Amino acid sequence: MLLGANASAAELSIDLKTSPAVGLLRPFADPVSISLLVTYADGRPVEQGSVDIVLDAPRSGAFFSTDFPMVEGSRLLELALPLRQGRAGWKYLFPIRGEYLLSVSVTAADGRVTAKNFVISILENRAKWLWLSLLCVGLFFFGFAAGRIFTVIPATAATSALLLFLGGISTVNGHDGRSPVDKAASPPTALEIAGATVGKPTRLRWRAPDGGNLITLLSLTITHLEKGKMVFAMDGVPVAKQYLLDFHFPDGAEYRVSSLAEVPGKEPVRTVQLVSVTGVEPAVTAQIPALVFFLALIALGLGVGRYSKISRKR
Amino acid sequence: MERTLAIWLGWSLSEKLSFLIKSGIFLSVCGATLFVTLASSYPAVHDTLHNVRHVLAVVPCH
Repeated sequence: MLLGANASAAELSIDLKTSPAVGLLRPFADPVSISLLVTYADGRPVEQGSVDIVLDAPRSGAFFSTDFPMVEGSRLLELALPLRQGRAGWKYLFPIRGEYLLSVSVTAADGRVTAKNFVISILENRAKWLWLSLLCVGLFFFGFAAGRIFTVIPATAATSALLLFLGGISTVNGHDGRSPVDKAASPPTALEIAGATVGKPTRLRWRAPDGGNLITLLSLTITHLEKGKMVFAMDGVPVAKQYLLDFHFPDGAEYRVSSLAEVPGKEPVRTVQLVSVTGVEPAVTAQIPALVFFLALIALGLGVGRYSKISRKR
Repeated sequence: MERTLAIWLGWSLSEKLSFLIKSGIFLSVCGATLFVTLASSYPAVHDTLHNVRHVLAVVPCH
């Protein structure tokens, strides 16, 4: 799906394409391939240049939080990619619903600079709305039943028992890393990862093992181990001495960061590093709205239950 | 129970007041239960209900 339009500068045009299309994307579902196409006004691709990419997360909602409140409004990704035949691409897993802001700045080989912002809207997974609706209905009827039981009409006063139906709760295991920052690196690594904490981007630095005498094609993949999902990937990016990437790990879980460095005429060098991201408890202000909403549903059920019993006995 | 207590104390308790007392206690218990299940950071509870929190879309988690 093409989201782009002509950039403000008349000479260069930046187009954004995602696969699958933006309308089909859901948070924490599958990684999306994002590619940028930079062309001159006559349609020719910009052969050489670089693209600076910044991705910002959606802002907090007016009332309800998402399931990753620490991510809301934060910087998710900051990286630079070289243009190859006018294209630059990477893969990313959007963590929450909402409108993401993707800022792209292109510097062509001749020094021309063009910038453009894209808004990417990610809708929430329908299954989550369904589960939320079911819980809401359940809480309402829980309150409804209690309202009828608590309403005693003297002529027909009877002993009632309150049925607690707090059952059927999934007992799927959660996550939680072992220690704040636990790194298990395979042999001398060219990959340096700062202490990762939810709420702020973490700097990943890859250094060329031989000091950067030759251009290396670097592939980098970040995988969420518990979910088994790739959350970021870039493939075959030409790098000289080092490569910097600022990546915001969205939740306190364990991730695997792997890099593959390919130098023409040499054996590829693979590096794998495990990162236990330190989770941060969400602020109370993010938790209260949902709790108040659920409690209000029970209270509403109480009132309706009482009214239904009184009106039937009249 | 509240009627027994009221009788023992010699109070007269209207049905409305009785309902309000019972509802207040009930909502307090429900609120505490919801907080523990959906908002507390106690590892045993959090880890068990982690996926439930995420699947509800509006319940924050870390």
